[in-house]
Amino acid sequence: MRMTVALPSRNLATQVLSVITLSVGLLFGLASTTLAQAVCLPSPRLLTTTPMGGQVGTTVEVTISGQDVEDVDLLTFSHPGITAEAKVDDQGEPIANQYIVTIAEDCPVGIHEARVMTRLGLSTSRVFNVGSLPEVQQVSPNTSLETAMPLPIDTVCNAKMAAQAVDHYTFEAAAGQRLVVDCAAKGIDSKLNAVLIVADAQGNDLQVERRGGAVDFTVPEAGTYVVKVHDLTFSGGAEYFYRLVIQSAEADELVQRLPSTQAVSSFSWPPTGLTDEQLIAEAELNNQHGEAQAITLPCDISGSFYPAADVDTFEFTATKGDVWWVEVASERLGRETDPSIVVQHVSRDGETEKLTDVVELTDIASPVKVSSNGYSYDGPPYNAGSTDILGKLEIKEDGLHRLQLHDLFGGTRSDPDNVYRLIIRKAAPDFALVGWALHMNLRNGDRNALSKPIALRGGATMPLEVVVVRRDGFVGQIEMEMSDLPEGVTATGLTIPSGQSKGIMLVSANEDAPRGLSRASFVGRATINGEEVTRPCRLASMAWPIPDAWSLIPDPRLLADVPVSVCGIEQAPLTIAAAEDKVWEVTSGEKLTIPLALTRRCDFSGANISLNTYGSGFDGASAFEVPLDEETSEIVYDLATLKTAPGEYKVALYGSAVAKYRDQVESIAIAEVSLMQVQEEAKRLAEEVATLTEEAQAATEEAKADAEAAAAEVAEKLKAAEDAVATAQKQLEAATNRAQPKDIVDIIVSTPFTIRVNPAEES
Amino acid sequence: MRSSRIASVFRSQSRLRSALHVVVVTMLFSAGTVIACEADQHVSYLNDVVPIFSKAGCNAGVCHAKAGGGQNGFQLSLLGFEPQDDYESVVKLARGRRVFPAAPEQSLLLKKASGQLPHGGGVRLAADSEGYRILHDWIAQGALSDVGSAPQLTAVEVVPRRVRIEPGGIQQLQAIAIYSDGSSRVVTTTALYESNAEAMADVSEDGLVKVHDVPGNVAVMVRYQGNVAVFTAAIPLGADVTELPEPNNFVDEHVFTNLEQIGIPPSPVCDDATFIRRASLDIEGRLPTQAEAAAFLESTDSDKRDQLIESLLASPGYADFFANKWTSLLKNRRDDASDITSNFAFHAWIRDSLLANVPYDQLVRELLAATGTVIGNPPVAWYKRVKDPKQQLEDVAQLFLGVRMQCAQCHHHPFERWSQDDYYSLSAFFSQVGRKPTGVRGEDLIFHKRGKATAKNVKTGESLVPMALGDDVGEITPDEDPRLKLADWMSNPDNPFFAKAVVNRYWKHFFKRGLIEPEDDIRDTNPPTNPELLVALEDHFIQSGFDLKELVRVITRSKAYQLSAMPNEHNLVDEQNYSRYYPRRLQAEVLLDAIDEITGAKTKFANLPPGTSAVALPDNSYNNASAFLQVFGRPNSQSVCECERAQSSSLAQSLHLINSAEMKGKLATGDGRAATLAKDEASVEEKVTELYLVAFSRQPSESELQTAIEYLNEPVTNADGECVDEVQAAQQNYQDLIWALINTKEFMFNH
Repeated sequence: MRMTVALPSRNLATQVLSVITLSVGLLFGLASTTLAQAVCLPSPRLLTTTPMGGQVGTTVEVTISGQDVEDVDLLTFSHPGITAEAKVDDQGEPIANQYIVTIAEDCPVGIHEARVMTRLGLSTSRVFNVGSLPEVQQVSPNTSLETAMPLPIDTVCNAKMAAQAVDHYTFEAAAGQRLVVDCAAKGIDSKLNAVLIVADAQGNDLQVERRGGAVDFTVPEAGTYVVKVHDLTFSGGAEYFYRLVIQSAEADELVQRLPSTQAVSSFSWPPTGLTDEQLIAEAELNNQHGEAQAITLPCDISGSFYPAADVDTFEFTATKGDVWWVEVASERLGRETDPSIVVQHVSRDGETEKLTDVVELTDIASPVKVSSNGYSYDGPPYNAGSTDILGKLEIKEDGLHRLQLHDLFGGTRSDPDNVYRLIIRKAAPDFALVGWALHMNLRNGDRNALSKPIALRGGATMPLEVVVVRRDGFVGQIEMEMSDLPEGVTATGLTIPSGQSKGIMLVSANEDAPRGLSRASFVGRATINGEEVTRPCRLASMAWPIPDAWSLIPDPRLLADVPVSVCGIEQAPLTIAAAEDKVWEVTSGEKLTIPLALTRRCDFSGANISLNTYGSGFDGASAFEVPLDEETSEIVYDLATLKTAPGEYKVALYGSAVAKYRDQVESIAIAEVSLMQVQEEAKRLAEEVATLTEEAQAATEEAKADAEAAAAEVAEKLKAAEDAVATAQKQLEAATNRAQPKDIVDIIVSTPFTIRVNPAEES
Repeated sequence: MRSSRIASVFRSQSRLRSALHVVVVTMLFSAGTVIACEADQHVSYLNDVVPIFSKAGCNAGVCHAKAGGGQNGFQLSLLGFEPQDDYESVVKLARGRRVFPAAPEQSLLLKKASGQLPHGGGVRLAADSEGYRILHDWIAQGALSDVGSAPQLTAVEVVPRRVRIEPGGIQQLQAIAIYSDGSSRVVTTTALYESNAEAMADVSEDGLVKVHDVPGNVAVMVRYQGNVAVFTAAIPLGADVTELPEPNNFVDEHVFTNLEQIGIPPSPVCDDATFIRRASLDIEGRLPTQAEAAAFLESTDSDKRDQLIESLLASPGYADFFANKWTSLLKNRRDDASDITSNFAFHAWIRDSLLANVPYDQLVRELLAATGTVIGNPPVAWYKRVKDPKQQLEDVAQLFLGVRMQCAQCHHHPFERWSQDDYYSLSAFFSQVGRKPTGVRGEDLIFHKRGKATAKNVKTGESLVPMALGDDVGEITPDEDPRLKLADWMSNPDNPFFAKAVVNRYWKHFFKRGLIEPEDDIRDTNPPTNPELLVALEDHFIQSGFDLKELVRVITRSKAYQLSAMPNEHNLVDEQNYSRYYPRRLQAEVLLDAIDEITGAKTKFANLPPGTSAVALPDNSYNNASAFLQVFGRPNSQSVCECERAQSSSLAQSLHLINSAEMKGKLATGDGRAATLAKDEASVEEKVTELYLVAFSRQPSESELQTAIEYLNEPVTNADGECVDEVQAAQQNYQDLIWALINTKEFMFNH
């Protein structure tokens, strides 16, 4: 179902000026600039919400901050149970960046996402937590024992960490009481690597947790205790936020950790339709061959890699020629584990047991080569693979088999929370999809990791890279579809061919697409065993825009939803499209010439853009050099070289170009209008002051005092008006400076087009 | 028969025993002479010639055994470990010109060695020497090799093995080589000798030991063709030991028994002020606060010293101080700015483990067998810095076993029993360490790579399975992480190295000198000065479950640890029997913190919260920014040796303390102690007492108090001779007083 979000109307001046933006941009675009080249056009990014969540069924005042988030007119959430209204001042005017957020009683507890609709469209998301416990905000500074903030037990504190600081909290507890101190940070998009310390009242450390875990603390004697929180390397700032809770717990209670976002790898879990109906538990001790737990296939087992160096051994009988599929989830459940399986056939040579390796199963490989951490990215900086297992077990001999499962990271770590789920099943072919905004590879070693919302400029096409994890031998081709899009937006999925792992989804906005926002549906379709199936495609994103991924390691994660927006203000610097909107036909072995139309809306560095082709059947074509300063051009595909089989193909051209981008050009005109208005007012007041002064001088003794007072009153207004002029001049200056052309390199993708390859007539 | 030509051949073990008897008896009655035995005119290449090369230094590492070609193309194996290779070099290479059987004296070998032809190494064998004659005869007999046929050397013995020698005395040693055929011969003149403490005894080339006047136990290593024996001498002082403190525990029993045996009267037990300062500095690496010192001095509890030790061990300061020690040895080094995360995580892991008193064997296990990522499992950071399996084994052996294996990579260890097979079979434990790249530059994810662990001996080409210093650890299946087996072997109570290495290391921490020195060079040829004590400490540590806090507790509770540093009329010469506390200059970090404590200044460190002490610094990067830490020798985490920490004194240190901008700044800190005292309403006596309590944990003496008060009451004048403001003058005077206290040995030393 299409879910369109109603947008408030923008003020008239902005709407009018947006139309003239591009022409002004072209006018000033010729100015030379010596600024260094930046990467990617500005995108709106919501960076913080304060607080980072709230208790279900309450109303919370939230302050936001972000990057390129001018003119925010909406704070929206991934769940409709969370709504926001702008906070207003005493005069009923909205206060910038402040909102009253209402969390409905029936809103699910857990991780949700907040975004803002800005001048440039919908922003990236920031985690917004909904919890069941009361919440408070940090009273800072609380960076010493003396200034420690009392934190009631079973209350969530929303806080931010300052650099080189240790936050202090105190709590009172009774002897023998069990408390679990937990802190959500990395799991809620924070940059904080939280260190948790429970100390005595004098601040002497008693228990410390630095690996992202919780501190399970049993109070030795009644009294005051201190919780200290800091970053592993004592970094801090607005991006180092956290949610701290001291939870009371029964002695044997399994305490749930604070919720967390999902790693990219977890998109491939669980398999479609998985239930707990057949689930059985592993039975320790099952560590040795002689202690193996007997199972029958198929099976679905839950267990844990515990204690350290735990090896879980299962044995079953199987028949030669049987093919089973083995899947293990542990890393995808959020654990830092690396499951490994060895299956061995067991035979006997007299009294001696003989073990023969059948298969060794380790990681789920990334479907595409992930970038190494070398000089520059040489693949996507997203890893859709996992340290979990998904592999085939072919039985080569009848009889008894043993399967040993252990954690390659578990030699010395003893954590009962390192759970796994092991499934052995007959082939159930299927697939799982994940996509992300295409990342740019630059020759100069740039390793930025950017979070990119689907916030489209008019005439732009945004590429999403989609990869597939294929289950149990599924090799069929996969079509991608995105629906429930805003007006003027189309989405074209370039097929993931049979047996291949990667496809491209192109989301295009018409040149005149109006400002709009909707939450889209993004799926892949394929035919499995004669039936068409549809599977969701999750989106992943960097949690932060990271300028240099060598100094700060990016944290990609899965997103809650697929919102698509059009800004309606700016247009893409360049639109490339086939000159005609039609299906381009060509006969096998012949050449196809496609005329191109280039719509250029600002200046560019360089004379040409080098364009490659997306889309199977044509992606082997050599790059085309297309002049940037021409309005038309053409490309020629030689089908004799490409050897593309007859059929219909969706393709697009892509490359990169350095635009001389002018930021918020429309604000110059707005500032000019404002300046003109206040100048006129000042001029009028100056004339009035002059008149009143003359009148006062000429006034009679009786009227003089009143006349002088009147003149003084207007003179005051004049002074205020002159201040307003000065302010308006500064705003104009700032707008002019901001709009100076800056070299920005970005990905350019053409509007997709369709080619039909007809079979050659037999001679 | 030439008396120095020793070739007594015994055909049976019974004959060997009787021969040894003869040797001993002969030695007793004619010390310094050499036994005349039955001669054999045949010269053995293996057993006569090669030892000459060793004795004359021809096959030393700096001469013809130098790696990469020896000298001038003449290459010998180090210390003759490869006699057949050496034979080829001597007889066959260089077109055979080195030996000339027809006219042996014309052999290049002899002409060079005797200096008849120019020789870079000088005259090694005079033409009238025994060595020259043996080589000459061997060449004359055809320069034949008997490698493979001659009896193999199986052991070397020294006679006597252990004696008590009065200061100034001498002792002639006899070295006896024992061969595979049961024969033996006296090889005193061709064996090599080395004293482990030349200040106590030195030894001549011919095995004559001269004892000096430093009491204690000294050892002389006797080396002969890859075999070693040890002679130990107890040098008594011989004074009457009439008063010994009542022992607190077994440590005292062993220390005091030794002192009684060699006649060194110990200094008395130190006073409370000295103890609180000493224990705080040794356990937490910091001065006691004024309040702590005052409270301790006032306390009348009979067990207040034990209480103090408990309180120090429970404090985070203990964890900080010992983490500082261990992280440096484990090379927590910042080579790149991006190392900060792994370094902070690794340091914190050690620190938290010490705070939680994780058993030492578990701590080492977590390090050795670390898997995963640095953030998830910080000991993985060790594998980030130490990547080469050879380096891994060498570091592990030296740090946790006290065994230096480096030599055995290329040749048999010259002083020890370790062969290249031992070396590579130890490296095999690390052969299945798998690595996967991570998003973090330079950081791998570590896992156990399934497979059969083996390592190749680069010399023999043989694939070796993991063996722990010659011990079989049982079969390791491809699924098992061999590193866990190594950790199992280490934590076995019968392991002869693991507990010994750490108790000796900790003993040195508290007593300045290890029972074995250097503390990470534990070998048969380097015996402990008090073997019974070392064994007792090992046993106690193992029985405590490898409890490091208990180790500190048992050491610091002993009266031996609590002896005064002030020598009595006898024990000033004692440097290894612990008859008194050996004073030590405070370590760089400790001294910096102590100066901050007394001046009230706060040294700021990058990326760390204000108030972080220098002993809590996570890695070496802070040395670059701190001249103080550099000058006072904070190590740069380059090696696993504690010797990297420079505890020597230097002119730069004196100048830094006396007249550096850093010290001036600390003294003049706006809200520092001098400024606070200047404004304080308390009496001058109270303020001076405060300073003495902070600096020395004691009250000032009457004369110290008077001197200080007189100085503080002196008017201060400016450059024009005018008196300065009273508060300003007072601040200046307090700064001067603090400066003077800092520059005393009592402040700079733990005593």
